[in-house]
Amino acid sequence: MLALLDAEQQMLKEVAGQIARAAEVANPGDLKTRDRAAAWESLAQAGLLGLRVRDEEGRPSASGVEVAVVAEALGAGLVPVPYLGSAVLATELLALAGAGPEAEELAAGGKRAGILLNRDLSAPARLPGDEQGYAWDCDGAAEALALVEAPGGAQVVRVPLDGAFTPVAGADLTRSLARYDAPIDPSGLTRAGRPLTEAELARWEALALAALCADTVGVMRSAVTKAVEYAKERIQYGVPIGSFQAVQHMCAEAYVSAEAAASATGYAAWAVDVLEPGEALTAARTAKAQCGAVAREVTETVMQIFGGIGQTYEHIAHVHTRRALTDRQVLGDEDAQLLRIADVRLTGE
Amino acid sequence: MDYRDTPEEAEFRASLRAWLAENIPAGWDKIEDRDEAARMQRAWHRTLYEAGYIGMSWPKEYGGRSLSPMYEAILNEEAGNLNAPRLPSVGYIGRAVFTYGSEEQKKRFLPPLLSGEAQWCQGFSEPEAGSDLASLRTLARLDGDHYVVNGQKMWTSGGQYADWCLLLARTDPDVPKHKGISAFLVSMREPGVTVRPIVLASGEAETCEVFWDDVRIPVAQRLGAPGEGWRIAMTTVAYERGPADIGFIASYRHTLRRVERLAAERGLLERPETRKKLAAAYVRGEVLRLNCMEQLSLRVSGREPGPEGSVAKLLWADAEQSLQHLAMDILGADCMTGAAGEWLGSYFTSRPVSVYGGSAQIQKNIIARMLGLPR
Repeated sequence: MLALLDAEQQMLKEVAGQIARAAEVANPGDLKTRDRAAAWESLAQAGLLGLRVRDEEGRPSASGVEVAVVAEALGAGLVPVPYLGSAVLATELLALAGAGPEAEELAAGGKRAGILLNRDLSAPARLPGDEQGYAWDCDGAAEALALVEAPGGAQVVRVPLDGAFTPVAGADLTRSLARYDAPIDPSGLTRAGRPLTEAELARWEALALAALCADTVGVMRSAVTKAVEYAKERIQYGVPIGSFQAVQHMCAEAYVSAEAAASATGYAAWAVDVLEPGEALTAARTAKAQCGAVAREVTETVMQIFGGIGQTYEHIAHVHTRRALTDRQVLGDEDAQLLRIADVRLTGE
Repeated sequence: MDYRDTPEEAEFRASLRAWLAENIPAGWDKIEDRDEAARMQRAWHRTLYEAGYIGMSWPKEYGGRSLSPMYEAILNEEAGNLNAPRLPSVGYIGRAVFTYGSEEQKKRFLPPLLSGEAQWCQGFSEPEAGSDLASLRTLARLDGDHYVVNGQKMWTSGGQYADWCLLLARTDPDVPKHKGISAFLVSMREPGVTVRPIVLASGEAETCEVFWDDVRIPVAQRLGAPGEGWRIAMTTVAYERGPADIGFIASYRHTLRRVERLAAERGLLERPETRKKLAAAYVRGEVLRLNCMEQLSLRVSGREPGPEGSVAKLLWADAEQSLQHLAMDILGADCMTGAAGEWLGSYFTSRPVSVYGGSAQIQKNIIARMLGLPR
């Protein structure tokens, strides 16, 4: 056993970190000026959009660990690109369905796809059942993927993001959201690949949850780092506020919460491709329950440490909170995860 | 990154499991008499030692096997899974002796420590020196080729069954408090040593206070240089004191299963709130386990134990105390009427977890230091 990144994964972390820092949203003003296309291009060129594309034997070109490394770096930089939506959630769905060429297209970076979620963002939209819902993390995407019941499993379909979708201003300022309000007729939609089995869907959900967790961990860790730096510099009563034990303990508690979430996330990311789908999904739910439970508290603590300035729109703190809160909701908050974990633990379902 | 056993670790685990199945003393957990339990514990130490399971990560020259700490973690895990008696913790005393001891001290003290022939306790805390350990007052005055010790120690766990003590005492009252402390290896049989058990809120005598009245210690039994005691103490507390080292992870898993059964017996498993709380307890255990695996991986990769241990300590206390709260809530009145009195005991036993080995507040101070926050 060695629960540490290996040398290659460390190198990937460096590369992803460099790309993320170049595209970082350091204050809300950056959201208007960031060259999002350039950031996407860098990710494509470094091959980071194609981590889940399958080779001839059906193996992903990189594991969940690598996906989590990239997702954490982008979360830490609050980078406003649809990495989770297009390169992880959509690409993995296509790859699992055996829609290789479509997955390759997304990996090349020229084309993007979002994911269609149900109304409470807790699961991929099932058509025609979910009559309302959202395309999530669909910046620059012309379509979003949804599921249709089919003989043999869940069929991936491509939903064009046309006039039926209204862009909405969601909580998260770094990722796009578009709402649909009328039932979507699945019969006219293009299918991608073959239907997915339960096990394949579980595998997909495990990766999706692990990647969301990694994003949250990145958001939390960078938020805590910024708050700690601020506590060292902000002078009140003639001393840095970080010299007060009350502030120190807030920082320490936020740090512990973020690190605990990171520990659970590392395992979930590793489990995606190694454990049985059911076990991988429980590991992912465990991480999501932990991340969800602490994401709000940690980012709120950070806003509190920043004091008055941390409550303003111009300050970066709320951008962390918004992204973390959205991660928490997408594919189910901690209550949803805990109930599913209980099903496995208490009844063996 | 791989959370699975290497082939060598898997082989070790398999043979260990077979050995444990043969060697765990039958009925050990039914022993109620504390003296008898202590005798059982001593015999268990001997059995483990003879099979080569004590001090596996120690250097070969000191009687160890120079294996990676991973093997000790596997031992802890498997012993916990099979509900074996507590594993003797020789690591922290051993680490102090083979890091700071003279050759003569190593030869004299390490073999009986490993074999269990000599049981050790730790004389660190005092009534007026808890979190602020460096302010300890027990005095060791040099008198020819002996030191003469006077003072009082608190929270000396296992003091009533120990043969030897790793004692901290002040040898120089005139220098800053961290610099005037020395460490000693002292027999608990010396005249002037008086041990009095302390009964904790649970009703159990789990620890002791020890009085030192004109106890004479040969200079040759001072560990390290005069004034080096603080450094030795810090080495000692950093090593092998994590939740994974004491088999907590496995015992937490057992307790959680028991709490789940309690909820089932009381027909509470249909309640979504109870289901969520039980699942949250599982999540806390997993988070702690995985954090410990990371810490262990760092240790195996050659990193000295650092303040990251404080994270695990806080997660550990939170997990154990939250689980006991949950048990109490599930039991309701039965916890108060004596109908399920053992759970009231384990509730009180969970309270000091956030106090011993550095209180939760001290752990947060340590983390704040690590984050670079100013004093």
